[in-house]
Amino acid sequence: MADQFVPREALKKINDNLYEIPKTYRDDMRVPARVYMNEAMIDSVLADKSLWQLVNVATLPGIQKYALAMPDIHQGYGFPIGGVAATAIGQGGVISPGGIGYDINCGVRLLVADALASDLRLHMERLATEVFRTIPSGVGKGGKLKFSMEEIDKVLMNGAQYMVECGYGTKEDTQLCEELGNMPGADASMISERAKKRGMDQLGTLGSGNHFLELQVIDKIYDQEAADAFGLRKGFVTVMIHCGSRGLGHQTCTDYVKLMMSKVSGWGYDLPDRELVCAPFESPAGQNYYAAMAAAANFGWANRHVIAHWTREAFHRGLGGSVKLNPVYDISHNIGKVETHMIEGKEMRLLVHRKGATRAFGPGLPEIPQKYRAVGQPVMIPGTMGTASYILAGNTEGMVQAFGSSCHGAGRRMSRSKAKKLVHGKQLREQLESQGIVIRCASSAGLAEEAPLAYKDVDNVVKIVDEAKLARKVVRLKPLAVIKGG
Amino acid sequence: MQKDFEFLPHTADIQMRAYGTTKKELFRNALNGMFQSIGPHADGCETKNNRLICPKLPEKQSVDVQAAQLDLLLVDFLSEALYLSDLHNQAYFDVDIHELTDKHIKATLQGVNVTSFDVVEIKAVTYHELEVKQVDGVWQATVVFDI
Repeated sequence: MADQFVPREALKKINDNLYEIPKTYRDDMRVPARVYMNEAMIDSVLADKSLWQLVNVATLPGIQKYALAMPDIHQGYGFPIGGVAATAIGQGGVISPGGIGYDINCGVRLLVADALASDLRLHMERLATEVFRTIPSGVGKGGKLKFSMEEIDKVLMNGAQYMVECGYGTKEDTQLCEELGNMPGADASMISERAKKRGMDQLGTLGSGNHFLELQVIDKIYDQEAADAFGLRKGFVTVMIHCGSRGLGHQTCTDYVKLMMSKVSGWGYDLPDRELVCAPFESPAGQNYYAAMAAAANFGWANRHVIAHWTREAFHRGLGGSVKLNPVYDISHNIGKVETHMIEGKEMRLLVHRKGATRAFGPGLPEIPQKYRAVGQPVMIPGTMGTASYILAGNTEGMVQAFGSSCHGAGRRMSRSKAKKLVHGKQLREQLESQGIVIRCASSAGLAEEAPLAYKDVDNVVKIVDEAKLARKVVRLKPLAVIKGG
Repeated sequence: MQKDFEFLPHTADIQMRAYGTTKKELFRNALNGMFQSIGPHADGCETKNNRLICPKLPEKQSVDVQAAQLDLLLVDFLSEALYLSDLHNQAYFDVDIHELTDKHIKATLQGVNVTSFDVVEIKAVTYHELEVKQVDGVWQATVVFDI
């Protein structure tokens, strides 16, 4: 565990927003490592082990082009957060659970209200209270729904689409969702019984930490054409839901990391970090994990789908039924996808790991819903409390540069313990409330850990993604109310 | 006095270092440290110096875990405790270890039903920067929790 910091001298500037660590930096690198960042950010990136971790990712068998990191890069375990790595299927490429994350399909869903923020301002306190009461959040809080093992299997196999059958949400909700909220290749039998037991009463829960539900106002338009296509108009209210697959996902990743750990020497891999543990994508372990991951991802989509449904009910109770919440899109930022990309002029089938990174497909691609196809895929970038969130649209250039990927948020830059020393939850709550933001949060200590100063500047992160042409800014959202578990 | 556990700085997760004069004590302190780190609250217990102190630990759960070597065993033992904690909404601050070798632990976790957790939830016990070793005769374990 000696020196795990990459020195500034190792960085080669490609342009104002992109730096590279050449393949020659370390013997075991198979490809260069590239990180999207600008001069303003470099010191904070060099200060933790994230670049060393990115160099480690560059050693993965079958990795293509570059080990990539988005501007919200920060230290993780195995992969850095903000990491993107594509491995070649059919050519010894691996799948690594750590490249997807313990919270499989942590992601963001966006809905837009047919009401102006100015009309709802007087009702915001009541609305926030209704939502906070309706949606269980916080650690150790089980949900209102309790499924049988049989029903859990249906959720795992059909995701959000099964929830529509159960009477939650609408078909349109599933159509305006990555993978239609139901990822092909899911196999419920690949999820362990203990993971299912954890998931049985957790559907429809937010969880804690940096998970939240936010009511926002669209406060700035950057790309009118895309904003029109996405149905986002200045001054209107949006609802953003950020959460994942809860204990079911965490347990699934834990189970497969343990399984692969027991087999890894058999495949002859010499990995620089245990959490990079992986299996050949086409091995039984690799295929089983992929099928389990897809099933856990379905649980995550079902989760956000149910939370959206209950949010509609909370709006109905809080406002007397007059305001509609329409789906915009739902994206995952912890997932592995089978995608086809061009590598040196040839089409190649790849397993694209995105851990704390979001798919951002450019215009024209069939994976994008028809009504958005001309402008590109919507990308939701949640900010931190009291700061802005952004909606972006995928670009064609991003497909070439980064396998059609973007950042996922602001990225942490300070430890939780340090944040708690510098910020008091109560003071932060008062500060946010003085900015007119309504807070409903179960724990003040948890609030301090999520303080904006603990994160990188989201405006800068999104600026880099935009200037690098990975995705372009469409609208900016400002928070009106934040509902958090802890 | 020998420290039982402490937390090291880490940007987004929790890195814990646990200590013990014996392997059993190491495992006990690691277990206690993990649950203390998420700020549990329970009826009949009080929080003193950032730790929950419970006069009684009436909730018991049996664990029987095997692994290829000692450091992996510690992670898998803590993962098992985490799983049980999520399932039953409990926290375990002590453990009665019946058997402990480098590859096998059989024990009874002792804890309480939790009313709330203050801070974050631990998503998983990772193998990242995992180290279990003896330093000057004292056992020491470093583990990172994903939160």
